[in-house]
Amino acid sequence: MDKNMLAGLEGLPEEDKNRMSAMIDHLQLRDSLRMYNSLVERCFNDCVDNFTRKTLQKQEETCVARCAEKFLKHSMRVGLRFAELNSQAATQD
Amino acid sequence: MEPVEMFLLPFLLVLAESLNPNRGKSCKVPMAAPNISAGIDKEQAFGMAETEMEYRVELFNRLGQTCFNKCVDKRYKEAELNMGENSCIDRCVSKYWQVNSMIGQMLSAGGQPPI
Repeated sequence: MDKNMLAGLEGLPEEDKNRMSAMIDHLQLRDSLRMYNSLVERCFNDCVDNFTRKTLQKQEETCVARCAEKFLKHSMRVGLRFAELNSQAATQD
Repeated sequence: MEPVEMFLLPFLLVLAESLNPNRGKSCKVPMAAPNISAGIDKEQAFGMAETEMEYRVELFNRLGQTCFNKCVDKRYKEAELNMGENSCIDRCVSKYWQVNSMIGQMLSAGGQPPI
């Protein structure tokens, strides 16, 4: 659990902190697994069309590698912008 | 920090305030629920926190997928995002966010969806 995460929970009693922290862990795990599945499906759909062979061809492998890396970079960038917009919205309220 | 953690932090600051037993004023909950007063009990607060967090995660995921579909070339010529894609992503996120706010406002003002 990231320390920066818990800085927002400072004002809370210990048991509340633990409960929130457990909730966040749970959500993060679930989200990671979901992301994993959706990434696999996406890259498969975009890169694999040929079923004359049982194993992935070189070109398909390259495509999948690029697809995954691109999506992860994209996801990081979206995360940054999302966090910016979120904190803007929070301070405006 | 992972993207999920980054966006949860501002929300948690507000939630921490609302769970504080010493609050005398009405608390601000970051959703379309302006009438919550200081009397909400802890269980409710946790329930709302969980719902809100799940909503944010869902929003983030949909936003990510939508903007990827709209902005990124599926031919995957390279592993990096090019300049055009980067700008597109930034703008897409910004616009998606605006649409999200607009609809949020319409729903909380109107009260119910139009029949």
